[in-house]
Amino acid sequence: MAEKVLTANRLGDGIAVWLDATGQWTENLQDAFVARHAEAEAALENAGREAFVSNIVVDVNVIEVDERDGILRPQRLRERIRALGPTIAYAHGHGFADPAFIAA
Amino acid sequence: MTRIWKETGFLDNDPWVIETEERKAGEGERAILGLDAFLGVVSDSNEIGFGVLIAPGEDVTKLQACLDRVALVALAFPAFNDGRAFSHASLLRGRLGFVGELRAVGDVLIDQIPLMLRTGIDSFAVTNEVALKRLEDRRLPAIDLHYQPAARASADPGGFSWRRRATPAR
Amino acid sequence: MYRYDEFDHAFVSARVEQFRDQVTRRLAGELAEDVFKPLRLMNGVYLQLHAYMLRVAIPYGTLNSRQMRMLAHVARRYDRGYGHFTTRQNIQYNWPKLSETPDILTELASVEMHSIQTSGNCIRNVTADHFAGAAADEVADPRPYAEILRQWSSVHPEFSYLPRKFKIAVTGAPSDRAAIQVHDIGLHLKKDDTGALGFAVYVGGGQGRTPLIAKKIRDFLPEEDLLSYVTAIVRVYNLHGRRDNKFKARIKILVHETGIGELTRQVEAEFDAIRDSELKLPEADIRAIETYFALPSLSERPEGWEALARAKKADPAFASWASRNVAPHKHPDYGMVTISLKPIGGTPGDASAEQMDRVADIAERYAFDEIRVSHEQNLILPHVALADLEAVHEALAEAGLATANAGLITDIIACPGLDYCALANARSIPVAQEISTRFGSPERQAEIGDLKIKISGCINACGHHHVGHIGLLGVEKKGAELYQITLGGSGDENASIGEIIGRGFEPERVTDAVETIVDTYLGLRLDPTETFLAAYLRVGPQPFKIALYGEAAEAA
Repeated sequence: MAEKVLTANRLGDGIAVWLDATGQWTENLQDAFVARHAEAEAALENAGREAFVSNIVVDVNVIEVDERDGILRPQRLRERIRALGPTIAYAHGHGFADPAFIAA
Repeated sequence: MTRIWKETGFLDNDPWVIETEERKAGEGERAILGLDAFLGVVSDSNEIGFGVLIAPGEDVTKLQACLDRVALVALAFPAFNDGRAFSHASLLRGRLGFVGELRAVGDVLIDQIPLMLRTGIDSFAVTNEVALKRLEDRRLPAIDLHYQPAARASADPGGFSWRRRATPAR
Repeated sequence: MYRYDEFDHAFVSARVEQFRDQVTRRLAGELAEDVFKPLRLMNGVYLQLHAYMLRVAIPYGTLNSRQMRMLAHVARRYDRGYGHFTTRQNIQYNWPKLSETPDILTELASVEMHSIQTSGNCIRNVTADHFAGAAADEVADPRPYAEILRQWSSVHPEFSYLPRKFKIAVTGAPSDRAAIQVHDIGLHLKKDDTGALGFAVYVGGGQGRTPLIAKKIRDFLPEEDLLSYVTAIVRVYNLHGRRDNKFKARIKILVHETGIGELTRQVEAEFDAIRDSELKLPEADIRAIETYFALPSLSERPEGWEALARAKKADPAFASWASRNVAPHKHPDYGMVTISLKPIGGTPGDASAEQMDRVADIAERYAFDEIRVSHEQNLILPHVALADLEAVHEALAEAGLATANAGLITDIIACPGLDYCALANARSIPVAQEISTRFGSPERQAEIGDLKIKISGCINACGHHHVGHIGLLGVEKKGAELYQITLGGSGDENASIGEIIGRGFEPERVTDAVETIVDTYLGLRLDPTETFLAAYLRVGPQPFKIALYGEAAEAA
């Protein structure tokens, strides 16, 4: 089974977040809890449903990641961009996503 | 639990029943028939005071010839974002001149009720809890200034001809 | 420009409070997301990849310096210091907090701005020719009618839950700078033989998955019938537009599936029933709205001619900007300035808060306090005395806003794409940046001439790629980005949908492909006055297919 993490956007400010091992929502994908088997994935889905119903997050999704050398890398380009932000220098004081991480 | 609301308040003892396979109007109740069923019955009878249910995809102008024998038209909103019934209401009140009761049934939510009122709907079958609570508190999220005339009569606020101002319920 | 009266102020305030109540209920959990979503969309609040996005309406692309300064303030206070001007003449902010959007809207309301119906299945911003009121070729200013439609369509009780979004565009010149033929309703303001004002009415144009050019439904609609006729069209659409399939729900599909003949019959029947209703526009109202859009009193500034000639001679950079970015005004001493938001290698359509403030200052000082947003993601100062062009150019150059590329290959239109948008399949901005950099040399750009490249990151076509001379559509193939190229599209009065020329190109090969297309054009054009589009219409896709794919592989 591919490794999975749970992602969503925070209701109040819309920022992309991932569920970590303590059940908190983190802005850093690398701190996400990784589900490596079916039960863990089911637990992620439940946590996602609860958080949605509790009005903490919106647009909840389980996504697939690959883990290599301790780095989590989403399989979908869209999710890699969500993890690191826009891939261009878009505003003063904000960088842009690392091209190596984003690359297919 | 479904309650019937009008601007004057919630109704007790509303007699209207939407007829289905399982449920027919009983003693002291009045039947709301589907459009086809109604058209089938109305030509063979001399009765008045009918109730008719219009589904979103149906043609409300089919009622034109016998509208004077209809006491209540129920407009179905199967999903709150299916906006066809707003046009049905507008046509019924406008072109077709219907003066009976116009009732919204289905997914009736508090945020759409002000728009429904403006298109001439005057009673609402409400199931949604939040909507029921807000209606009990008489807290409708309406804007009383309108940029367009609508089926429901409203006041002239002065200024450009297309503008209106809400008038209180009679 | 239009100024709010008491009614307008009270309405917008009430709308903000209504939305504030909805946001409060949502955050408190009293309003579920599926019910809240259409409500927030009708206030222009989207959820995107990284954050919410707020789309603020700039009615028919017209605003003044006070409003522009507020847009800068919102960018600084509530966002990350910048905004993005869109292909529908609006502005988008990419990082607002939902919890702060009511406050943002309160601040916007203080300068007569709002975000009402910038999204949702309702009537959206009515767009207009960005040179309206100033262009030398204009028959009449379409904006008063855009304003009437804007008001009439605001929180319309019958038309708030249409099958899908509804977009109207208006133009008042024979040259269509508003792309009316790819809108749900396109209105071409003109005069009949008696000099009376009215509209040619087009219906069912659109881009997206099924691009279609609009069909003319009326050759001349008298101005007084505008609201009745539009009501008839939208009512027929509301009743009969498809609701079973999101990708087949626009009016263009209804026109296509019903046939324009039958649809016209339905609309005319509806119109007949309501034409003499309270929707008929009194002449007094039309003329009253028109007064808001009167030309500012432009004093004679004949010294501008000589000043311009002198300045051009002295400074080649200014000369190239003046010849490229200044268009003829109806008054001979004035010009219409295009402020390019397409710096070489930059993000098309973005402006920093500082740049917005600079534009506001310049508009106030030199341009009768009027600014426009074009659907090609640039800003316009419609009334600038030729005598002031040098000063304007200098001020713009200081702010990085003086790129002399209006209508050239680096004046690229691009949607936000997969860098921001939850609907996207591929990125648009890096592609635009690379193409812009590759062709950045002023000499190269001048050599190529007029060429509109438009890039969309998904089939929704917010980058208007279907009407690009060169259109790029980003798709996803096996998890990677791929770009389909179309050629020969045009959004003007000779509207056409671009033709796909063959299999797509990977991101690292797209710029080379564009260069191959450009070189092919340069090689076969009759002379430098034959534009890319004209050449394409003359020779067709063959030479370009061969150049890109080789003799054997012409078929896609």
